[in-house]
Amino acid sequence: MTPSVQTRLDRVWRRVVFRWRRTQLNRELAEEIESHRLLKEAENSRAGLSPQAARELSNRQMGNIEMAKEDCRDMWSFLRVERLVHDLRFAARLFGRNPGFTVIAVLSLAIGIGGNAAMFTLVDKLLVRPLPYFEPDRLVRVTGIYPRAAVPFFQQQSRTMDVAAVSAGSEYNLTGQGEAVRIFGAAASANLFSVLGAPVAQGRAFEPGEDSPGRDSVIIISDALWKNKFGCDPSILGRVITVNGMNRQIVGIMPPGFGFPSSKVEAWLPLRLDPSNFIEYWGSGWVPFVSRIRLGANVQQAQAEIRALVAQFKRTFPYPMARDWNANATAIPLQEDLMGDIRGTLLILFSSVGMVLLIACTNVASLLLSRATTRRKEIALRVALGAGRLRIVRQLLTESVLLALIGGGLGILLGMSALSIFKSVLPSSTPGLAAAAIDWRVAGTIAALALLTGLAFGIAPALSASQIDLAGSIRTGSQRSITSAWTRLRSCLITAEVALTVVLVVSAGLLMRSLYTLSEVRLGFRPEQILTVRISPNQSSCTERAACIALYGRILDSARGIAGVDEAAIANTLPLDAEQPYLAVEIEGHPKSADYPAPLLWSGAVSPGYVRMMGIPLLAGREFTEADGSKSAGVLLITPSTARIFWPGENPIGKHIKRAGEAQWRTVVGVVGDVRQYSLAKGRPDWVPGAMYMPYVQSAREDGQIYAAMTLLVKGRADSGRLGHEIRSLAEEQDPNVPVSQVQPLEDVVSGSISDFRSTIRVFLSFAGAAILLAAIGIYGLVSYWVTQRTFEIGVRVAMGATRQRIVSIVLAQGLRVAVYGAGAGIVAALAVTRFLGSLLYGVTATDPVTFVAVTALVLAVTVTATAFPAWRAARIDPVTWLRVD
Amino acid sequence: MATERIDLPQGTLDLLILRTLALAPQHGWGVSERIQQISSDVLQVQQGSLYPALHRLERRGWIKARWGISENSRRAKYYELTRAGRKQLETEAGAWRKLSAAVAQVLDMA
Repeated sequence: MTPSVQTRLDRVWRRVVFRWRRTQLNRELAEEIESHRLLKEAENSRAGLSPQAARELSNRQMGNIEMAKEDCRDMWSFLRVERLVHDLRFAARLFGRNPGFTVIAVLSLAIGIGGNAAMFTLVDKLLVRPLPYFEPDRLVRVTGIYPRAAVPFFQQQSRTMDVAAVSAGSEYNLTGQGEAVRIFGAAASANLFSVLGAPVAQGRAFEPGEDSPGRDSVIIISDALWKNKFGCDPSILGRVITVNGMNRQIVGIMPPGFGFPSSKVEAWLPLRLDPSNFIEYWGSGWVPFVSRIRLGANVQQAQAEIRALVAQFKRTFPYPMARDWNANATAIPLQEDLMGDIRGTLLILFSSVGMVLLIACTNVASLLLSRATTRRKEIALRVALGAGRLRIVRQLLTESVLLALIGGGLGILLGMSALSIFKSVLPSSTPGLAAAAIDWRVAGTIAALALLTGLAFGIAPALSASQIDLAGSIRTGSQRSITSAWTRLRSCLITAEVALTVVLVVSAGLLMRSLYTLSEVRLGFRPEQILTVRISPNQSSCTERAACIALYGRILDSARGIAGVDEAAIANTLPLDAEQPYLAVEIEGHPKSADYPAPLLWSGAVSPGYVRMMGIPLLAGREFTEADGSKSAGVLLITPSTARIFWPGENPIGKHIKRAGEAQWRTVVGVVGDVRQYSLAKGRPDWVPGAMYMPYVQSAREDGQIYAAMTLLVKGRADSGRLGHEIRSLAEEQDPNVPVSQVQPLEDVVSGSISDFRSTIRVFLSFAGAAILLAAIGIYGLVSYWVTQRTFEIGVRVAMGATRQRIVSIVLAQGLRVAVYGAGAGIVAALAVTRFLGSLLYGVTATDPVTFVAVTALVLAVTVTATAFPAWRAARIDPVTWLRVD
Repeated sequence: MATERIDLPQGTLDLLILRTLALAPQHGWGVSERIQQISSDVLQVQQGSLYPALHRLERRGWIKARWGISENSRRAKYYELTRAGRKQLETEAGAWRKLSAAVAQVLDMA
């Protein structure tokens, strides 16, 4: 009869109670038995014995009651648990006696396990766990971006999908709620939330038709915006707020954690579908699509349909489209699309951290192996005293599992901090990233991992120790009788460890070289001493060009008036900033056709003096001057790379470019140096063949309006804190309804653009550092153990006349042999593996020989260092002492 | 006392204790006396096995103990059957009867 769970629990509970009240229960047991004896004694007295005889008889009748008492106590205690506790106590005492060993072992494991805990959390949260939407496996991304006109077309024509559109998002002004702020909003078709299958937390989603003009004055806000900006006000639904100068009613609040297409998005506005607004409907404001595969359809059908629909839609364009426009559009699973960029980085980190754990385990295993051998005598003694082989193995395994569990516990703590480091490596807009935390599932997995590693690295040493030649070990007490198989195993472990280390250090080395190359990149401008502040009036306030020209004229004048400011300028964008402006242009001598649609140029709008202030070299012609006014003839500056593409071998000065659809040509008056606008690592994307600058007062966006949001740049030698404060307040004084960003030194913008990369490198460096340290410990342990084993042999050699140099070189050879094999294997592995780093590398190839040679040299140098101490010890072996021992 | 004593087969002590306690709560000495008495001195319980058995039964939750005053006005630990114990007694007694009937049948076969 198997007892029910409850009975089992009851029994355990009673035992637990017993442990607490052990002394009391012992006393009660004694009293119980004594009262039994007294009853017997009384019976004996009644039978007519003298009191003395009655007592003696009762004592005899009770028999050996101590045994019974012992049995009773056992009845109440957890025998197996007690034995375990005993083992644990013994292990803890041993660890306490060997603090060096313990610290190294626990730390290695904590590093390995902690890193894995963090990485496991991320991989689980970001790659494995499905998106938090209804039936997420039916959600797909339609690749490419499409004009708004395509939204109703796809929605009506598609038979396999429900199509929604949502922009990547941009900043909007939120005014009329205290200080004007910038919020990050995404424009979405009315059906976005139903396509995603994401219900609102409060209020309602967009209603069908709310993306048509006149009905679109609604907005849905994120939980974060509701909490931070509106203080969780429950009456917020129905309130009207002003976004980019337009009144919108808040109709819904999304649940916490919802962020689509990225977690940056704080608000969703209807994507206005207005066929009468030709430029917006066909030209600007292109959007990506996200779709839900309908029931009964599959991805393959959707992909075929997309190709057909794209071809069909291309014919409806009111202007010629490139022949291959979106020709390879297809549908990919949404999760793959959202995590596409980080998948590689994540998997690389995951495998490296796995390698660190492997190294840590190898190391601890090898440490335990050597310890098991030095404990040979102790174990032999215990076997001689009657300990079973199983008991010895269990004792040793208890030790290793205890080590692993301590390491695991520390590892989880370490994992929490590691997680925040890893998070900083990934783009913060990754959906779900902020919510990734070590939860009980991960903790459980880690506990299992720790147990498993404990068993894994404990089993070999335990088995090796239990195969003991009893008589031999005790009699001689020497450590010469070793099973060479275990020693070979240990050398193999360390070789593998060195190989893994080489892979990690090579990766870190390649990344370091990339960072160095990046820091040497010629920016094309000088960011020193320049402070920037973003001023973002509503675009609607610039319908009158003169209003904005006057506004920025005033701002520039007052900025130049601040003490300590040498120069001031405005620009519509900063180099290496997130948002880049483009214009579709017509170029003199390059007529548009279906094969050569209007090229997109990067287009800056800057005030006179910007080029000089930024230190961008003027290569030909002239800069803008105050004479290039809003009424005078249009002028442009272009970069040499642009000139080479459109007018190779010709003088570009005097050539003409105009915005697509514009009447008047603008004249190129100067050539200024190319600037890294997009990123340090890459130049312009290939769909942007050139770059040009317009004077701010003549500038135009694709809809012909002047730029409203601009960045003010000032250069000065004055204290940047005070200066920053002054330019910010000067901008704010212009209009309290205009949001003004924090002041940022341009140098911070530059270094910020590669901060993700820097932190990736930092993570890799710490991995590599941990690996190399662990490898050094491993080699040291191996060689010093070898020396201990061979003390006798070395003694004989010295006695036979071997010189110290000879002994040292023998020992060094031991370490080097392992290191050379390991490095060789590591180089082969690294050659195979580093190409996965491809996307992270800049300016070095994945098989960069310099890095490989340097790393090999480093590993060998570390080996020599780690071997030096045991070698020195070996050289000092005094043959007389050692030969006498046996 | 010419009666021959029999060693208790494994596991029967528990059954006997439960049966004894089914009559009335009893302390250890009382249990051993009662078993001896009812079995006409055939079965004698050793203290060395009685107390471990009592504690085992208590641990299993079949009997529970409380302190009371014994015949000689001393504190003594009285054991009584719990509900689970009563059920266990029925099961075990049934099983025992079946077993002994079967054994008897085998022994008595012609």
